[in-house]
Amino acid sequence: MDVKRKVEISRVNPQDWPHGTPVHKEEDPQLGHDIIPAARYTSEAFMRLEWERVWTKVWLLGGRSDDIPNPGDYICTDIGKESVLIVRQADGSVRAFPNLCLHRGNRLRPEGLGNAEHFRCMYHHWTYDHQGCIIRIPDLDTFPQGGPPGMRLPAYPCDEWGGFVWYSLNPDVEPLAQYLSPIQQHLGPYHAERMAWVRDVTVEWDCNWKASVDAFSETYHVQGIHPQLQWYLDDVNVQIDCYERHSRYLVPFAAISPRVAMPSAIPPAIHEIMVKAGMDPAEYEGSVGDIRRAVQLFKRQHGAAQGRDYSELNDDQLTDDYHYTIFPNVSLNVHADDIMMFRQRPHATDPNKMLYDVWVFELVPEGTPWPARPKHRRFRHGDRSIGQVLDQDAYNLPTVQLGMQSDAFKGLWLSDQELRIRHFHKVLDDYIYGPGGKGPDDI
Amino acid sequence: MDLGLQGKKAIIVGAARGIGLATAEVLAREGCDLAITARSEDGVKDAVAELGKYGGTVVGKACNVKKADDYKAWLDWAIEALGGVDILIPITSAGGGMGSEKYWTNAFEVDVMGPVRAVEAVLPTMQAQKSGSIILIATTSAGEAMGGPQAYNAMKASLVTWGKQLALHHGRDGIRVNVVSPGPVEFEGGNWDMIKGTMEKFYQAQLRQQPTGRLGTPEEIARCIAFLASPAASWCNGAHLVVDGGFTNRTHF
Repeated sequence: MDVKRKVEISRVNPQDWPHGTPVHKEEDPQLGHDIIPAARYTSEAFMRLEWERVWTKVWLLGGRSDDIPNPGDYICTDIGKESVLIVRQADGSVRAFPNLCLHRGNRLRPEGLGNAEHFRCMYHHWTYDHQGCIIRIPDLDTFPQGGPPGMRLPAYPCDEWGGFVWYSLNPDVEPLAQYLSPIQQHLGPYHAERMAWVRDVTVEWDCNWKASVDAFSETYHVQGIHPQLQWYLDDVNVQIDCYERHSRYLVPFAAISPRVAMPSAIPPAIHEIMVKAGMDPAEYEGSVGDIRRAVQLFKRQHGAAQGRDYSELNDDQLTDDYHYTIFPNVSLNVHADDIMMFRQRPHATDPNKMLYDVWVFELVPEGTPWPARPKHRRFRHGDRSIGQVLDQDAYNLPTVQLGMQSDAFKGLWLSDQELRIRHFHKVLDDYIYGPGGKGPDDI
Repeated sequence: MDLGLQGKKAIIVGAARGIGLATAEVLAREGCDLAITARSEDGVKDAVAELGKYGGTVVGKACNVKKADDYKAWLDWAIEALGGVDILIPITSAGGGMGSEKYWTNAFEVDVMGPVRAVEAVLPTMQAQKSGSIILIATTSAGEAMGGPQAYNAMKASLVTWGKQLALHHGRDGIRVNVVSPGPVEFEGGNWDMIKGTMEKFYQAQLRQQPTGRLGTPEEIARCIAFLASPAASWCNGAHLVVDGGFTNRTHF
């Protein structure tokens, strides 16, 4: 690799943290070196296959549990051509059903959050309770055939884990816990439920949803589009772990990339990490290369007094980016004090477009009032800034998508640093074509 | 032009990188014997090895200027190791920073007391031999705005005043004291290298303010330091030389 310095990153010893997030390096899967066909990013036929064999088969992230604390609170969220209502029940459980009226098909609610005593279609006032049962059909006597079968909306599997609500369009889907495994053991120690919303944004991006998943699955692009991050993180000493269908990488933060010379002054972004941790960078006497460890030790020592319970996290987790992909479409940058996650949804009809949801949560220190939830904002690609780093990520994607459509571009030519992309597409292949079923002519 | 540096004994504080290392290289090439220090042991070791290739005597030991006793001991050691001292260039700096009172004590200890303690250490030898040359390193940021109100800028400014007064006071001893104020200088691992990578817009704005469209190199500062430090500059005393490619706006009348 093109580096200026050889850097040994210290990592915690797996034996020292038997009950926390697993840290041992998984053996890399042997996934070959073939190209990932570009056609799967542009083909409408492939998009239909994804719908039939992935989106309607897997568990999908619906929202945050704490957005629907009370009976009747609901999350209305779209996936492809479907819209789903997730409703908190009187017994505290959650149920999901299609967001539509069985009369003429009208949507019951616009996408978003709310509370409803019942769901009444505004067209003819058909009314549904929290369980999706029809409780009123005006002029029922004018329907000689009676009401629709069962007088209820079909139910979608729906469950909660880790402070999040999940649903599936597949009535026969495996249990959520089985689907998410082993992610629960990895993310549990972070206690996402102790973190509050700080950002809720949806951007309509001009690329296929997989181009976005790919973009957040490797650190090889840091030197190209995020040059400033080389004075913030180590994009070279990255541990990649692929699991059955999910994957992760561990990126040292508060570190200097081996691709640049070690500075003698503390870089601005690392300065900010220190200040956020409660340190005074002016007091720091060590070298810049030792700051990561100094921040870990400081947070370990002072976290509890700051109302921040880091007791289940290992030392690396106090600084580093543990980045997970939950198949198919959730990417999470998980940190001790915050989570920045993306939900990457396909467009309903156009393989060249997607919905990019940015959800950011921050740890609320004990004794601090729970902050007000920010309003959801939605806009078009490039219309507004979503922050320097994500703008940099977003900037390339439309031109990546254009290149995908060229006859001259056959597919992605991937490096070992991009193993997670290869793994993601392998999992996708197994859903689309059946395990190991992808043929030589399949895209 | 012969600078007359052959065989001179020079002490450089902060010579592991950047302007300090470049200055050490110029002096070593001109035939000076050198005693150098910096905070990082590896940095000093590498610099000593690098400078040794010019054939002169080069000694070095790591030292934290903030630790006054260690620093004074290092200075005494350096003078002894060189068997005297003709040239002193204390260049080490705590750098910039805002938002903590500690930046003031850091800048005072390193940027001000670093040179003060070094000058105190070499004066007896220089006075005894009736010759010596001292270069203090300030900054164009002392005279013009840069990076907000910082201890660094203000503390560096004090060296310009103190340098002139040292020159007036010790001229009779044959000791010359001059001040060099470099403008923005870029080198790998330096602040401007990092600023280029992390704050590209600010960096580009700086370039636009540079008449030559670029920042300086350590060598361009080092050659000016070496000249002022050398016997060739025998009539320069109490001078303040701004070396900035024309970056600063002020006209020097």
